[in-house]
This record gives sequence, C-alpha cells and structure tokens, in this order.
Amino acid sequence: MTRDQLYDIAASWFQSQDWEPFPFQKQTWKAFLQGKHGLLNAPTGSGKTYALWFPIVLNYIKKNPEYKKKHKKGLKAIWITPLRALSHEIKQSAEQVATDLGTQMTVAIRSGDTSTKERARQKKQMPDLLITTPESLQLLLATKGYDKIFKNCSAIVVDEWHELLGTKRGVQMELGLSRLRTISKNLRIWGISATIGNLEQARQVLLGPSSQALEKSIMIKANLKKKITVKSIIPKEMETFPWRGHLGIRLLEDVVPIINASKTTLLFTNTRSQCEIWFQKILEKHPEYAGEIAMHHGSINKETRVWVENAIRNESLKAVVCTSSLDLGVDFAPVETVVQIGGPKGIARFLQRAGRSGHRPGKESVIYFLPTHAIELVEASALQQAVKQRAVEDRMPYLNSYDVLLQYLTTLAISDGFYPEEIYQEIKQTFCYQAVSEDQWQWLLNFLVMGSQSLQSYDEYKKVEVEEDGKFKVNNRGVAMRHRFQIGTIVGDANLTVRYQKGGYIGTIEEYFISKLKAGDVFTFAGRNLEFLRIKEMQVHVRNSSKKTNKVPAWGGGRMTLSAQMSKLLREELYTVSLDKKDQSKEIKSLLPMFNQQRFESIVPRPDEFLIETFKTRDGYHHLFYPFEGRFVHEAMGSLLGYRISLLSPITFSLAFNDYGFELLSDKEIDIQQVIDNNLFSTEFMLDDLQKSLNSTEMARRKFRDIAVISGMVFTGYPDKGVKMKHLQSSSQLLFNVFRDYENDNLLYQQAFTETFEHQLEEGRLRISLERIATQEIVWKSCSKPTPFSFPLITDRMSREKLSSEKLADRIKRMAAILTKK
Amino acid sequence: MTLPIKIQDHTFIMHPSGVLFWEEKSMLIISDVHLGKVSHFRKFGAAVPQKAVLKNFELMNEAIAFFYPKTICFLGDLFHSSVNKEWELFEKWVAQTSSELILVEGNHDIISPLKYEKLGVQVVPEIESNGFLFTHHPEERKGYFNFSGHIHPAVRLRGAGRQTLRLPCFFKSSNQMIVPAFGEFTGNHTLKPSKKNEVFAVTKESVFQVDLG
Repeated sequence: MTRDQLYDIAASWFQSQDWEPFPFQKQTWKAFLQGKHGLLNAPTGSGKTYALWFPIVLNYIKKNPEYKKKHKKGLKAIWITPLRALSHEIKQSAEQVATDLGTQMTVAIRSGDTSTKERARQKKQMPDLLITTPESLQLLLATKGYDKIFKNCSAIVVDEWHELLGTKRGVQMELGLSRLRTISKNLRIWGISATIGNLEQARQVLLGPSSQALEKSIMIKANLKKKITVKSIIPKEMETFPWRGHLGIRLLEDVVPIINASKTTLLFTNTRSQCEIWFQKILEKHPEYAGEIAMHHGSINKETRVWVENAIRNESLKAVVCTSSLDLGVDFAPVETVVQIGGPKGIARFLQRAGRSGHRPGKESVIYFLPTHAIELVEASALQQAVKQRAVEDRMPYLNSYDVLLQYLTTLAISDGFYPEEIYQEIKQTFCYQAVSEDQWQWLLNFLVMGSQSLQSYDEYKKVEVEEDGKFKVNNRGVAMRHRFQIGTIVGDANLTVRYQKGGYIGTIEEYFISKLKAGDVFTFAGRNLEFLRIKEMQVHVRNSSKKTNKVPAWGGGRMTLSAQMSKLLREELYTVSLDKKDQSKEIKSLLPMFNQQRFESIVPRPDEFLIETFKTRDGYHHLFYPFEGRFVHEAMGSLLGYRISLLSPITFSLAFNDYGFELLSDKEIDIQQVIDNNLFSTEFMLDDLQKSLNSTEMARRKFRDIAVISGMVFTGYPDKGVKMKHLQSSSQLLFNVFRDYENDNLLYQQAFTETFEHQLEEGRLRISLERIATQEIVWKSCSKPTPFSFPLITDRMSREKLSSEKLADRIKRMAAILTKK
Repeated sequence: MTLPIKIQDHTFIMHPSGVLFWEEKSMLIISDVHLGKVSHFRKFGAAVPQKAVLKNFELMNEAIAFFYPKTICFLGDLFHSSVNKEWELFEKWVAQTSSELILVEGNHDIISPLKYEKLGVQVVPEIESNGFLFTHHPEERKGYFNFSGHIHPAVRLRGAGRQTLRLPCFFKSSNQMIVPAFGEFTGNHTLKPSKKNEVFAVTKESVFQVDLG
C-alpha cells in the first residue's frame, strides 16, 4: 500500500467522525511512516493520541495487507503514561480506531492496578498496544526472556514527557529506552510534551544527545493558541485580610457565585489536606451542594476517583475540589471554570490548569485565582503578566543519578543478566549518563557485586554475582523478590491503607500522621470524619464518626517553589507599588492597606533596593532578608549567609524560607552592619562556602533518603502484603551517618550533595541573585514589631532548617527538655 | 567526661559512650549493642559500609580500658540476628577480654545460649543484686530498682530562637533507669520526660544532666 492510500484510510475515518485532522496530526503521521523519531509538542485534549496511534496502525496495515482477515500477533507499540488514571482514556480511543479501521489489533493496560491473572495472560500473549507506566516497563525488563517480548515492537510513545523530564522517573525512562533501542530493531521513539522552556533539550533527553535517533528525528509543534483569562478574587475587606495563611477558606463565599454560574467548576488546591478542608467547609456552609460536589486527590481509592472523573464527564457535578491529581490528561469537556486556590508556583502548571476549562477548540479558558494571604495577590498580578507573555519554565533533567542506574542494573541482573561492556555502551548514549567515566562504571559494578570496592574479610555481602563468562546475574531468589518490590523512583513515607472495620477501602495515608493518633481520635479523610480504631498489618481500621475534628492529615512532598521567570515577574510587580496608580494592576491597588502598614516601620523595596529587617519577639532575634527569588534560591542564600555569619562568632540559627525571602532566627542578635561591612553577599568562594554550609544543614540528608531507597540500600517492606520485614529496616538517617563516618567517598553519598546543589539550591540562580544584590543599595530597617512582609516567614513552624557553629555543650546549657503534657 | 550518680547508696558512673559503671561491684553495663546488624544487612543485599562492623568492638574496648571492670553485663540485644560472620569477631573479642561476661537476654537474642556458654558467656533472663534488678525490657517490681535497655531512649531539647536538639540519654525515674543503646548502627526513640524524671543526655564528649524547665 502506498503512503497516500494509508493517509486516505485515516482521512476517511476523520470524515466519518465529522472531524478534520489538524496539520500537526498529518505531519506526525508522515514523519512516523518515514521512520522518523520525534517529539510532538501538543497540549492535552488536542487529539495528540490520534496523532501517534494512527501511524502505528497504518504502519501495521502497510506491513500486513491482509490485516482484515489475518491478525499478526505480538507487541507492536508501547504507550507510556505517567499517570495510571490516563490509561483508560487512551485505551478507549485506541480500541475505537483499531476496530473502526477493521483491524483485529488489541489494546491492554499494564500497571500497578493490573491483576496478577491479567499480567500472566499478557505475558503469554502480549497485546498489540500495551499502555503502561515507566515503573511497569522496568518490571517487564525484570522478566526472563524480555527481549522476545519487545523484538518486533515498532514504536514507543512517551506521553506527557514534560512531567517525567526533570524527575528520576524520567531517568528510568531514559534507561528503559536505551535497552529497547538495542533489542527492538525497528523501534521508533516518540515523545509528547506540553510546552516547556527547554523543548529542544526534552527531545535530546528522550532520544539521547549523540544518538542516531536524534539525527533522524523531528520536532512537531501543534501551535494551538488558546485564549486564557485570569481573574483574581480580591478580598472585599483588605484591612482584615490575613498576612499569612495557606488555606484561603476566608474567601469561600466568593467562590459560591462562581460555582453557581458554571456548569462544572474545578477548584485546584496545592495539597491534599487543603483539598480535604475545602471540601468539608463548602459542604458545611452550603449543605445544598450535597451530592453535587466531590473531591479528587491521589490518596483516595481508585474507584472513587474513577467515579468522580466519570461524573465530571456526565455533567452530574457542580464542582470538584482537587489537587494536581487532575492536572493531566482526561478530557473534561463540561468544565467551564477553574479556580486556583493559593499560588500555583509555576506558570506552566497554572496554564495547564487553566486549560482544563473551555476544553473545546476555540473556546476561552477562564481561571480564577484565589489568594490565601495578602502577598499572594502580588503573585496573582505576576501571573496575569505571565499568561500575557506565555512565559514558561524549564524542566531540568537529572545527570549521573547513580541510584537509578544501580536499580536498573539490578533489574537486568534478575531477569536475563547483563554483560557490562554492552550495557555501558547503551547508557553512555543516554543524556543522564553521557558523562559517566569508566572508573565510575567500575565503581558501580564493584558496588553491585561486593557491596564495596574491594573484597573484605568477614563479609557476606550478597546481591549480584559474576558468572564464568562475565555475565552479571542475580541467582538468589530472595534478592530478586525484594528487588521487584522496590522498583520505582517515587519515594514517600510508608503508606498505610485506610479501611473500615468491615473491610471497605477508603484510601492511603502516611504512617507519620497515624503514628500521632490514639485510638478514639477523630480525623478528616476522604471527606469523612473517621474515628481511629487500630493499626493491624499495615492497615488503619476506622469507623465513621459524627464528632467534629480539626485533625487533617498532612501529606509530604509537593513542596513547590517559584520558577526563575515567575520570580522575576513577581519582583517587577512589586516594584510597581512605588509607581503611579494608573500603572498598577488592580491586585496591587487592592493591597494598598498592607503596603501602608509595611511602610509604617519599613519600606516596600524599589528595583535598586535590597531590604533587610530586624526585630525581637518572644521567640528570639529575627533577621529577615527579601531577595524575592523563589524558595530554593532562598534556601541556598539563607544557608550561605547563615554559614558566613556563623564564622564571625559562634551562633545557632533556625532558618525559615518562602518564595519572597528568608529568616535567620537566633537567640543572639546579629550585627547587620557587620554583615554589610564584611561583604557577606559576595559571590567569592560561593561554591566552597555553600558546600560547607550544606554539611551543617539537613538538606543533603533529606536527598539521601530517596537515594538510599532507590538504590536498594533501604528496604521498605511489602506494604501491600502487610509484611514489614522489620529486621531489615533501618532509617536512611542512620545510614547517612554511617556513610559520613566510614565511607564518605561512596558515590551514592556524594550524589546526595550533588543533587542538593543542582536541583535544590540552583547554584546558577543563586549566583545571579547575589550579583543582582551587589548592584542594589542595602536598606536595613530595625523595626519594633513584625512587618506584613515578615509575617508568613516568622510564623512558619513546620519546615525550618538548622545551622550552628556553637559547641554542643554550650547549646545544651541554654536548653531544656520538651516535657510530656500529662 | 563522665557523670556519677548515687542510687540507693551505690555509685553508678555514666560514660559518653552510653555505658554505665557500677562502682561497688566493678560491673560495666552495656545495652543494645546489636552486633551483626551491619553484616545482616549486607547479607541481604544492602551495602552498609562494612568498616562500621569493627567500631562496636573498638568502642567496647575503649570503655573497658577506662573502667577495667571485673564484670561486663550486656542488657540484651547483644546480637541483632542469627549467627553470621560477626560472631567470629565476637569470639575473638571474648578471648581477648579478661572480664567476666554476662548476657541478660533481649528480644533480638535468638542465638542459642549454648553457643554463648561455650565461650564462657553466661546467659540469664535477669539479674537481681543488692536490691537492683537488671532486665532487657523495662520492668517494675516491688522493692527493686530496675536497670533496663530495649527502648534506645533519646530526649528532645528546646531553646530560645526555635532551637531543638535530639540526643540519646540515660532516662531515670524513681525506681528505674533506662540505658541508651550502645550500638553504632542503631536508631533511638524520643521519650518525653515529666518533672519527676531525671534525664542525662549523651554527646560524643560528655554526659549532661538535662534541665527539665
């Protein structure tokens, strides 16, 4: 069949649906059929599935002209999706096309939700299209004879690639692709990505920076422009609007008319606990919505989530309170309006959420921004600008993630084993490991086989063995079994299943929260008030309660920071405060009462000013610095400055950070004049000082937690099976200390510091910020009480860092034990 | 720097390594060493640095050189798991040690007492002596002052400027003292004292009595 004949098949299908294929879809078909690889830049709901599924089917038809009568079995394509929730939607579309075109192609899903029976069936006979997640793909590589499964696979499509890029799941994907390129000879690799700042790099990471695939690839942009309107909800009484907070419940009544005016409204919150609280409060204040509003977040059971998703599609819900769990995929045509509660922290995320509304081509997207405290209105104003300029941030890919590589090598060792020379060539082609040296590679191999760099006496380390012909293989069933349970790169607190006593599954919750409850305590979860009964075999037993409670589980993760672009826009908005009223946005104008209060004892900085405030409260001496650079840069700058001050004289700090600035709190007063005179904001020796400051804070320690789990050094047990394997559990904290004391040249230990540098502290941005501060005039205000700018920082009790240059003994003398409340 | 304390007219000396020395009896009390833990992890494929194995023995030797005890009493959890190669190191260590060795059994001690007795280590469920009761799990028994381990006690301190610190400790109440875990590769558990307790925090150099506010 000629290519034109194939296009005709596709075109007539579109005709039968009364659709017209978009140019980007046709371009993708052509490129695919020409055998090219590529990256498709298209937003959700634009028909991107058809852009890539069609040519896969057409390619099959081309090779099997008898396709209507004879079905050639075997895996032809893999579709990777980052979220399990998206797979059903893709399956439906793909099946529809396969059937309508008269093929007998089959589509199946393989993910953590797939039953063992179904998995076994798939292993015997793979479907033509397999929809799966990066983790499940790795698990396939952990099965014996996996090369036969993939041998005739003609395509792999990595959907929502921007979500994976910049995470270790993305690295896992790079490794999976590096293997598939060898074993599937005719594989085409395609990615689909929403718009991000570094699209070109996204293509490189997907295909390999120096690969033939990259040479033979194409970037296709959908270029579907959409009108987005951002409306800020401005508090009617600014005088009483709080200076701090993160819930936003105070503006609940302002949301009601918005919900009433739309068919369906999505309310995006930043955390799952915030989501729970909003849902609860709306029902409490407006019981008339009962049955018409729902909640959706990642800890709620799958059935409920699917039910909510379907209810949105059927237009049977007025509103859904959700988290990033509804960020991706799933086409919700009935959604007319989106409300963002609290700062979204990133522009791409905000645009994506806005795009959930007015989903039909040509329709306008409307998003409301609801501030949770006063300064967030500045952010709202900056977001308006961001949307106007279509500014988007980069997703920074990882480099040299040894933990993921060790996991991957063990995966290969438990299935068919591997020969190092072959795999080394493959991983050198990936973006992540392009710079891994032969020495480092040898280090990793030694680590796998000996658990160290040389054979030691009295050692019984057991993991990977080297067979006579040089093949690296795991022959111990226990090692293999434990490894299969550990595959993955998303590390969280241990999760417990929440169930009714009689067995109904409600969701999962972090162990940390439950450990603080006593039997009889009532907490809010999944929109219900539940009484905690007991923990049994990793399950939390509860029953419904009518008691009121303010206990809402807090979920870890999800700490976000402003991107560089957003921080810049934020500063620019703030600088308009000193301009004429007509040059100010209405958000900035509305904040006048707060700015007046701020100016009472301090200033609102102008572009050429850098503000430092100091004051004393019951808690101690507060020193506040306002670079307006986003949380991560402030973490770096705070640690750096704290470290440099601690060199002047012994002192202990508690540090707090937010997107606007940072605080150094101490029981001693810092002489700010000395900070200025000693030029402590200098970029000289910045790296060195930063490295040293890291040793005195907890940041690297926290990074190490994930590394220890991913690399298989910390075993998390079999939570689903209720097996804790307690004798093999140790905290990563403990492990970190042992490495620090005995093996600090270990690559995994080192990785914790490198990652903190590259991904947490954003060294590059820190340098630019310091250079900017060097050009500014430092304005130091000694205040008599906290200012509006300082308020969110000084009241942060949760996420503080510590830094000390004092002797432990000297500190202990000034401290007292925390006593029991009894 | 050590810290002595009088309990029922006997003198007990707390050492920064977390051991306790009963002066009148010349008995060194060491709790929760968890020997073999590092090797156990390594055997199961978790590459905990092997050098950490020797540290426990070094630290025990330091404590012995400091007090020259007649008797060493392990308050349970001497070994973390079943026998592995660290047992051989233990055998060697026992051969070099001139003190009398007693193990009060803990929940982790699953190695057969016969194996210990072969080395001349006595294994007992508990020790009663001079009105003192030595057990692994904390216990209340009328007329006795109890020394125990098992808990791996730690305490959290708070100071001005939102400072906090967590340190392992000796945790004492009117008729009981819980000894900190000795082992290098063991965690600890934070206890909240009441005003009736006495708490002695342990740092690398010293033992401090903690201010209970």
